[in-house]
Amino acid sequence: MKPASWSLAPRLAWRLAAVLVAAIGLAAIAVGWRAIVTARALDDTALQIQVHAVAVHLATAPGGTPLLDLPPALETAFHGGAGDNVFIITTPRDQVRLSSDPAAAALIVPYMPQTDGLFRVPATPAQPEGMVGFVTRFGAWRVAVAQSREQSEVLVRSLLSEFFSTGLVLLSVIGGTAALIGIWTVRDGLRPLRRASVAASRVDPAQPGRRLPDADLPAEVAPLVIAVNQALARLEAALGAQRRFVGEAAHALRTPLAVLTARLDALPESPDAGLLRRDADRMTRLIEQMLRMARLDGQPLDVSKPVDLRAVAIEAISMLAPLALPQGIELALREIGTPAPLTGNHAALVIGLTNLIENAVAHAPRGSLVEVELAAAARIAVLDRGPGVPAAERKAIFERFHRGPVGHVKRDSQMRGATGAGLGLAIVAGVAAAHRGAAWVEGREGGGAAFVLKLGTPADGAEGSCA
Amino acid sequence: MRLLAVEDEPDLGLLLRDALRHAAFTVDLVTGIQDAEDHLAVAGYDAMILDLGLADGDGLALLRALRRRGAMLPVLILTARDAPEDRVTGLDSGADDYLVKPFHVPELISRMRALLRRPNAALGVVLQVGDLVLDTAARHLTVGGTPLELSLREMALLELLLRRQGRVVTREAIEQALYGFDAAIGSNALEVLVHRLRRRLAEVGAHAAVHTLRGVGYLLAEGT
Repeated sequence: MKPASWSLAPRLAWRLAAVLVAAIGLAAIAVGWRAIVTARALDDTALQIQVHAVAVHLATAPGGTPLLDLPPALETAFHGGAGDNVFIITTPRDQVRLSSDPAAAALIVPYMPQTDGLFRVPATPAQPEGMVGFVTRFGAWRVAVAQSREQSEVLVRSLLSEFFSTGLVLLSVIGGTAALIGIWTVRDGLRPLRRASVAASRVDPAQPGRRLPDADLPAEVAPLVIAVNQALARLEAALGAQRRFVGEAAHALRTPLAVLTARLDALPESPDAGLLRRDADRMTRLIEQMLRMARLDGQPLDVSKPVDLRAVAIEAISMLAPLALPQGIELALREIGTPAPLTGNHAALVIGLTNLIENAVAHAPRGSLVEVELAAAARIAVLDRGPGVPAAERKAIFERFHRGPVGHVKRDSQMRGATGAGLGLAIVAGVAAAHRGAAWVEGREGGGAAFVLKLGTPADGAEGSCA
Repeated sequence: MRLLAVEDEPDLGLLLRDALRHAAFTVDLVTGIQDAEDHLAVAGYDAMILDLGLADGDGLALLRALRRRGAMLPVLILTARDAPEDRVTGLDSGADDYLVKPFHVPELISRMRALLRRPNAALGVVLQVGDLVLDTAARHLTVGGTPLELSLREMALLELLLRRQGRVVTREAIEQALYGFDAAIGSNALEVLVHRLRRRLAEVGAHAAVHTLRGVGYLLAEGT
């Protein structure tokens, strides 16, 4: 019954989470890149300053050797650390003349560019991060300063860790809140849709006019609900037209059938005339039942009036007694207790009970008794001594146009022609349903059938007339 | 007995007219309300058969106009409208009986006869079922031509059943008619009375019998 479905709220949550992760990733990349660029710029500036600081103290000794007289502070800076900072003074052809660390200088010099500027030294065992340096020309010399890249790496790392420790938490909080708001909005926004689906589950051809509630709908959902309501209206119109057609067709057949009946009645008595009259009666009966069915289908039955089941039973029995007596079938009413006050539709109940009695009379053997039993709990039963209904068929006989096996029809019955339409019991079921009750058939001790019409609207607990 | 039949379906109208003439009624057949008014204005009728859906209007309008003018003639409505509320509307509008199409002509004739037997119709009506004939004015009963004496109560019961012969008369209706509202009657007084009437009829071999519908009432019909 339930098709493979997906849920809007989790899907939204997942997508928001994905966007959030992507945003955090992009922000981290941007921050990292910015940090690296900044660190490089800082390197650049710091190294230039150092180069100048060294170059200021450079002189050329007679004899062509460089002469460097560094103040103690600078001296310490270049020689004090773990050889992180190195200065090198070379000839224009990059022959080292002077350096703070000759071993390092030998490694660095090959990477120095021909022009002035920044340069890099790949990683070495002594400098696992590699080095970065700056070279510039002063008079006859090139002065270079290099330092470990570790320092800029440290800066980048600290910037990134700063970002992750504070920025990420902040972003997560914002993102989580956004996701929750999203889910809540979806849930809240879909509530009218849930109301609509509850209403939709109650749509029933027996109760036309039901529509989905279209108040307070979000604009995204409103078109669907409105379209569904319009579709319902169209379906209802079509259904109504069809039902009206059944009713009108049955109605229109009455006049020609009246002409036919009158013509047959004018025929002189003969076996053939009798058969023809019976056939016409059968058609009449079918048309009457179709009209009743169409009427039951067509409009909700007003079941709000107080009804007297005893009066219903007396009316139905009185109506059928003249038909039953010539067949040697006796009708009787048996009352067990006083029926509880009841609301319902008198005319519909008479029709339903009439159909039950007719059915019983049609199947009862000559000389037998058909009893209408009125029990206290809004229960009417029609009891006959006919062949009964096999258990397998007890449900099906209440369906429209159901035809029982031929053997069940009492062949010599005058009413046979009048009952074979297959709508009588369906009408009973319809009348019962309109009274929030049920109709069924049971077996009977001593043989025969008990057709029961149980109504479900006691006057006290009446909740209005909606069946 | 002169009848006016208002029916706009030509075939049905002619069949009706012929059948009613065959049953010894004098019948005028018209097809519309205006025609019917014209006929009613110039001739006296004992009863009217009225179709509702007529070409020039609703038969009910004619019936209401008739009753407003105080016309008492019995009217039987003949219609294709069979919803219970239609029947109620018809009877409320002043119809005396209501027959839904299609109908059997003998049924229509017997209903017409019953209508004409009603108190506001002619006095001195003779009621009959099987070989049982009751002259209600003379209080004279014969069975197969032989007079039969009955007690007042028995006679009243028989007349009641005869007036509604072939149809069920409820216990309540009989008790009310025979004993009135106030009289305290034994719970089985009616059973005893019916039993006596049955025995009287059986003694003379009447070809009519009182059937019991236990819990409902009684029905008088031809046969034994």
